[in-house]
Amino acid sequence: MAYGDAASNQVLSLQRLLRDMGYGSEVFCEEQPFLFEGNTRSITQHARHASPENVLLLHFTMEYSNEVMSWLRRVPERKVLIYHNITPHTYFAGINGPLAEAAKRGRRQLSQLRDLTAAGWGVSAFNCQELEEHGWTNLDVLPIIFDPKRYAVRPDRTILSRYEADGPNILFVGRVAPNKCFEDLVLTFFYLKRWIRPDARLLLVGAHGGMEPYVAFLERLVDKLHVPDVTFTGHVSNAELMAYYRCSHVYLSMSEHEGFGVPLLESMHFELPIVAYAAAAIPETLGECGALINEKDYPAIAELIGLLIEDEGLRDTMLAGQRRRLESFLPKSVEGRLEELLNALPP
Amino acid sequence: MTVSKGWLDIPDEQVDTEKIMQRVRARLASRDIAPLDEEDKTPEAIASALWRAMIGSSIDNQDVPIQGRDCDVVPRNYVIDWRVPILGPIHAAIRRVINAEIRRYVLPSLRKQSYLNRQVLRVLNDLFEENERLHQEIRKLREDQGEES
Repeated sequence: MAYGDAASNQVLSLQRLLRDMGYGSEVFCEEQPFLFEGNTRSITQHARHASPENVLLLHFTMEYSNEVMSWLRRVPERKVLIYHNITPHTYFAGINGPLAEAAKRGRRQLSQLRDLTAAGWGVSAFNCQELEEHGWTNLDVLPIIFDPKRYAVRPDRTILSRYEADGPNILFVGRVAPNKCFEDLVLTFFYLKRWIRPDARLLLVGAHGGMEPYVAFLERLVDKLHVPDVTFTGHVSNAELMAYYRCSHVYLSMSEHEGFGVPLLESMHFELPIVAYAAAAIPETLGECGALINEKDYPAIAELIGLLIEDEGLRDTMLAGQRRRLESFLPKSVEGRLEELLNALPP
Repeated sequence: MTVSKGWLDIPDEQVDTEKIMQRVRARLASRDIAPLDEEDKTPEAIASALWRAMIGSSIDNQDVPIQGRDCDVVPRNYVIDWRVPILGPIHAAIRRVINAEIRRYVLPSLRKQSYLNRQVLRVLNDLFEENERLHQEIRKLREDQGEES
């Protein structure tokens, strides 16, 4: 669990939805997170809540420690794995060795977790497919819950005053990691700035701890291409995140590996037309909206962004599609599915 | 500068992808493509040289020339579409039938193929890493033997 992390936010949204549906729900985690908005309990406190009548939803984004694995073997609950996906370790080669190893071990744990759980729920069909490849059979999709209430935060004024005027601003939100292909964002922005909109800005919003060699590479690339107005924000607060969405004009994703893509839903909510590379779960998340890129042709992508900035009619049509798509992820849309999945669990 | 046919996909039925691609092509044709520097290096070449120099290892194993994204061959958003303003409802019905049939017959076999592709890639990557590890061990053993003799 961590502040501002998409999977952690999903844990809280799911807890809220379960409580609204009349279920009791508690969140247990190995380490108490710093600055976290929800109430969490340590797994050491779980014993007094343990009962075979309960269902334990295991959110899985990276390897579980040995302690958690042995705890899972002991507890009497029916268990369901909620798989958010693990970035393939090859992306971290040469950048963060320990993280690459953790990703590798995490993926191996999928086979062990299969034998400990009653079912696997992927947040996308893409994630279910990966579980299937690890021998899982009882699989279903439980989509990410998008709760607009979470975004009713006053946007940070300093950010708004800095970026609201002029622009256009091209936004990407996500941890600075090689699977997100920040270099492709910079290359696309290079052509946009050089040919189409010299006044454009690229706002790259996301934490970059543990990715220092990759960040150094990106900064050097920006420097070498002489492309100004590229901002790496680092970790931001909710208010700052809201401000970045509010003052942006187009959302661009070149990511090659996403188990779902929460910032895509956020862009739908904040009415930013989406241009995204069609990889992993991204086409599935967008459904019948957004512009999907099948080849990383940077000049052409820059031209498409230029079109979206200039052509109001095209932008409005795309935003209408995005609004329709977002409805599928609202709590009231997911509620029925969740009830169905809980009822289908073996006793 | 040419843009390939399947480069863009806008799944929203209200947007004509082909028309957008034509506009993108027309805009690209009007650009002055001057080289970035005297060595005539493209930004892409600069990025890739920098990656090699600063990160070293490729994102995917260079000895395995397949990337994860190449494994999935299912055209999830592909639909048969044509736009003729007359006879709209009839065309829409025909399109729906054809698209439904494609999903029913073609997609399951492509899903199986994608599954196989991913398995093969995983095995190749594992073998590559194992091979690399064995090479390192052999090198170390040879060094140790050299020291002993």
